[in-house]
Amino acid sequence: MDLFDENLKKRAREETFPLPDDYAGRVFATCAALEEKTVKTKMTTARRWALGAAAALAVFIAVPNISAPAAAAMEQIPVLGSIVQVITFRTYTYDDGHGQADVSVPQIDGSGSAAASVNKDVQAYTDQLIEQFKTDCRDLGEGYEGLDVSYKVVADTDGWFTLRVDALETRASGYEFSKIYNIDKTTDKVVGLADLFRPDSGWQDLLYKEVLGQMNEQMAASSDKTYFTEDFTALDPNQNYYFDKDGNLVLAFDEYAVAPGSMGPVEFTIAKSVWQGLRK
Amino acid sequence: MPVLTKEWFGGQVVRNQTALFRTARSILKNDQDAEDAVQEAILSAYASLDSLREPERFKPWILRILTNKCYDLCRKNRPVVDLSDVEEVIPASGTDCTERLSLWQAVEQLPDDLRTPITLFYYEDLNIRQISLVLDLTQAAVKTRLHRGRERLKLLLGEEGTTDGSV
Repeated sequence: MDLFDENLKKRAREETFPLPDDYAGRVFATCAALEEKTVKTKMTTARRWALGAAAALAVFIAVPNISAPAAAAMEQIPVLGSIVQVITFRTYTYDDGHGQADVSVPQIDGSGSAAASVNKDVQAYTDQLIEQFKTDCRDLGEGYEGLDVSYKVVADTDGWFTLRVDALETRASGYEFSKIYNIDKTTDKVVGLADLFRPDSGWQDLLYKEVLGQMNEQMAASSDKTYFTEDFTALDPNQNYYFDKDGNLVLAFDEYAVAPGSMGPVEFTIAKSVWQGLRK
Repeated sequence: MPVLTKEWFGGQVVRNQTALFRTARSILKNDQDAEDAVQEAILSAYASLDSLREPERFKPWILRILTNKCYDLCRKNRPVVDLSDVEEVIPASGTDCTERLSLWQAVEQLPDDLRTPITLFYYEDLNIRQISLVLDLTQAAVKTRLHRGRERLKLLLGEEGTTDGSV
């Protein structure tokens, strides 16, 4: 390739090409309207971020002292124990025609260390989402990128406090994921799934088999259901969880984690009678 | 090995959306037709995604589908352009056309048969073999058109050639 070719290729890269107004938006809409193709292959987290395809639903739930009676008595109004209220700590908005972001970062207003821990994690997490959004916008050039983060107090009682933060990341399709925090209000500690059970109780294997059994049952009952049962070989001890109003354990999985994108994020409810004997 | 899902496909389309429009626009005479062709190409490509054997070659694959859509539109709307009506913008001697024409404006002045190979070569960085596959031309034909296109661009842009023009 001679100097003339090199100069022209350089000009081609550097000159702004005149695209019609909102062409990127229309391309995005065309892609978004395509019917989902189900490919029974697990996507890695890195790949999901790289493609960023689409919609991310991030859910933080802070739940103090999980007990069935408390769960059944969940209320919408916070103000108990060390947690006073949830406020919008800061907002981030951005719109350049290709990239759009609207982020509200919550903060639990309270004196407890668990609230402080959740606050720190939420801040770091939303910072990461925003930084990823900025990077994607730079990499995508004239593509379309969107990020929306909002939150709401789901419940707060003597025993429970639930904060939900929803994040929607948009590119060409949808990707939803959740993050759930549980706080024991009586001990003022954040409680992971493994913290609920006696270490030697075999809880992890029991819950794994319960989930796998439900996956197989659903697939046998409906051709619309598909799970990556071959890839799902163990339950993560840090798996997202919460308790439903009846005190049953709900395990929440991100989109693509155990099922194709057409299934979205999935949840499995494990009856209290199955695991309550394994609790600490 | 990329997973051929809607998400993957959408990501590839978004990554190549400018290339898609630019290539369509190099064949069709207005933005609306070019957008229509891009949209039809996206739908056709997705419907035949299983035929994409080498995902890393997504760009030339979808550009081939796109150019076929463009030619279909040309046939439907014929006559699109009478070549005799295309006024060649050749600079007067001594004028500095680099100040007057962007590269794309110069490319738009090229005859129809030269415009797309030039676009694919300079803008989309496709090699001669890839261009021949996208446009269903022999490699010799692509070389010929690139050579003629380069000579035209030298005149249009007022730049000196630095070689004998061979590709």
